[in-house]
Amino acid sequence: MEGQLALAMFAMVCLALLVGFPVALTLGGTALGFASLGILLGHFDPDYLTALTARIFGTMGNETLVAVPLFIMMGVILERAKIAEDLLTHMAGLFGARPGGLGVAVVVVGALLAASTGIVGATVITMGVLALPTMLRAGYHPQLATGTICATGTLGQIIPPSIALVLLGDIMSAAYQQAQLRMNIINTQTVSVGDLFIGAMVPGFLLVVFYLAYLLIRAALQPAHAPAAAVGRTEFGAAMTAVLPPVGLIALVLGSILLGAATPTEAAGVGAVGAMALALTRGALTPASLRDISRSTLYTTSMVFLILIGAAVFSLVFRGFGGDLLIESFFEELGGGPHTALLVVMLVMFLLGFILDFIEITFVVVPVVGPILLAMGFDPIWLGVMIAVNLQTSFLTPPFGFALFYLRGVAPDTVSTRDIYAGVLPFVVMQLLLLLVMWWWPNLVLWLPGVLGR
Amino acid sequence: MITLHATDKNHGIRIMSRTAPSGKIDGLMTRLEGVTLWCVPVMALLVFCIVLLRYGFNTGAIAAQESVQYLHATVFMLGAAIALRADQHVRVDIFYRNFSSRQRAWVNTLGHIVFTLPLCTLIGWGSLGYVVDSWSAQEASPEPGGLPLIFVLKTLIPAMAILLGLQATSQVIRGIRILQQQDSV
Repeated sequence: MEGQLALAMFAMVCLALLVGFPVALTLGGTALGFASLGILLGHFDPDYLTALTARIFGTMGNETLVAVPLFIMMGVILERAKIAEDLLTHMAGLFGARPGGLGVAVVVVGALLAASTGIVGATVITMGVLALPTMLRAGYHPQLATGTICATGTLGQIIPPSIALVLLGDIMSAAYQQAQLRMNIINTQTVSVGDLFIGAMVPGFLLVVFYLAYLLIRAALQPAHAPAAAVGRTEFGAAMTAVLPPVGLIALVLGSILLGAATPTEAAGVGAVGAMALALTRGALTPASLRDISRSTLYTTSMVFLILIGAAVFSLVFRGFGGDLLIESFFEELGGGPHTALLVVMLVMFLLGFILDFIEITFVVVPVVGPILLAMGFDPIWLGVMIAVNLQTSFLTPPFGFALFYLRGVAPDTVSTRDIYAGVLPFVVMQLLLLLVMWWWPNLVLWLPGVLGR
Repeated sequence: MITLHATDKNHGIRIMSRTAPSGKIDGLMTRLEGVTLWCVPVMALLVFCIVLLRYGFNTGAIAAQESVQYLHATVFMLGAAIALRADQHVRVDIFYRNFSSRQRAWVNTLGHIVFTLPLCTLIGWGSLGYVVDSWSAQEASPEPGGLPLIFVLKTLIPAMAILLGLQATSQVIRGIRILQQQDSV
């Protein structure tokens, strides 16, 4: 009975979310409603809810999560101070005059900017607004243009330092501790956000290479679909003065984390202050603009953390109903070993990606299934990267992928929805290919952490 | 770019006449926002200084580090209600984006009554004993050189619940007003 209530609650939340009330409040509110029902029916122990205050206070004191507002701030500054836009213009000036070059510029800039955001909609919308009109005007096939922009926009999920990876890393590290307790391991090991960043480097880089290769092959085979753009050619020197400072900043932030010289939080603080300095040199940092930047950061940060609190209520109630035991016994009955279990989890997450954003899935699903899968012996870094790429693929997949909706919102009417769906398919295939390769050959993820001695 | 994520299409609600109590609550949130948002750059600068101290001078400062943590907590605990006022909490807007202002008023009014207000009651009520204990002990940081203000930090929990509840109430008042007005048309 309790287990059924847990599953009913999960189904109810998915339905309730579609109504369009804020996700964080729907998550927490539905769970609270079910808890009340459970208490009335005598199936729920109210004591489970008393842990909520300590959970919230734990979140307030979590040092790793301080990186979230700081990375958001860095992203907002790069965008508001038009540093991102300049980067794209100059990259387009450098590459655009060659067939496929404009697409290459979009992918490269998207990958760089990806770094500082982590919210699917944000990068897709920015790239859609900045790059889509330019690509269409240059004569790019609408399918190729929209596919490139959607795929590049979602790269932000997995290319460090994305806030999605910060959140996932934090949850994975807790799940890893739990899994080891469950396995009676006394000398427990830890996994950090930095480890996840390092693990995501090679797969993220590979995706960028896949995307670029695809663009160049298409340009070679069908030059009319990716023609040379009549963009003003930028002087190499002028381009470098626009490109080097932000690229240098991102490299500094990322490098210091990879080398273990700084924690993600410290690196994020340096990144935010560095971005402020860049904006200042461009005359784009005034008291008014700083207020706007801070306000945006405040909004997005609060949005993320309220989801965390709503999800905390949800997972407490889920646990109170014995939902996690139910899932554990489901996996035991499933048979077929760890890989079958992982396949099921990945499929469920993929489907959830149609209605929930990265953050919600990270907070709601990973705490429940993470410890179970890790106790089956999967490597936490590898599992984290698999989840991230899986979700990124889900956001791209027609007809429900998040990224497609966001691009639809900013694309001109001359681009049909069918174009967007068809355009993104080759990229979905590349994503699935990467997932398969990582599955059969985990060293693709684990090699770099090994080299760096993590 | 990030702000675009949460839909900014709710102008319908904002241009409604300022009904007295909900106008006051919204005004309070706007003023709170004007103060709270400065925590963000201060936090970034503090982290930067801590990094300089640690790598440049090889010293740490527990109090500075805890200040960062306090600012961070202040941002998102007070920000929950502030962001609600600005309609910045992300929604699954597959259907919502095409709703009329009346349909949106239904969603928001019912949502706050069924979800937000009970949730705020839970968080506020549940944290009360926790916070009172902390105040009566004048709970301080366990770290040497830490801030003696844990009880203030913990107070953010009921504060968040009260502010979020207030803002939800404001939107319920507004929502009912919209539904009534269009009924009489």
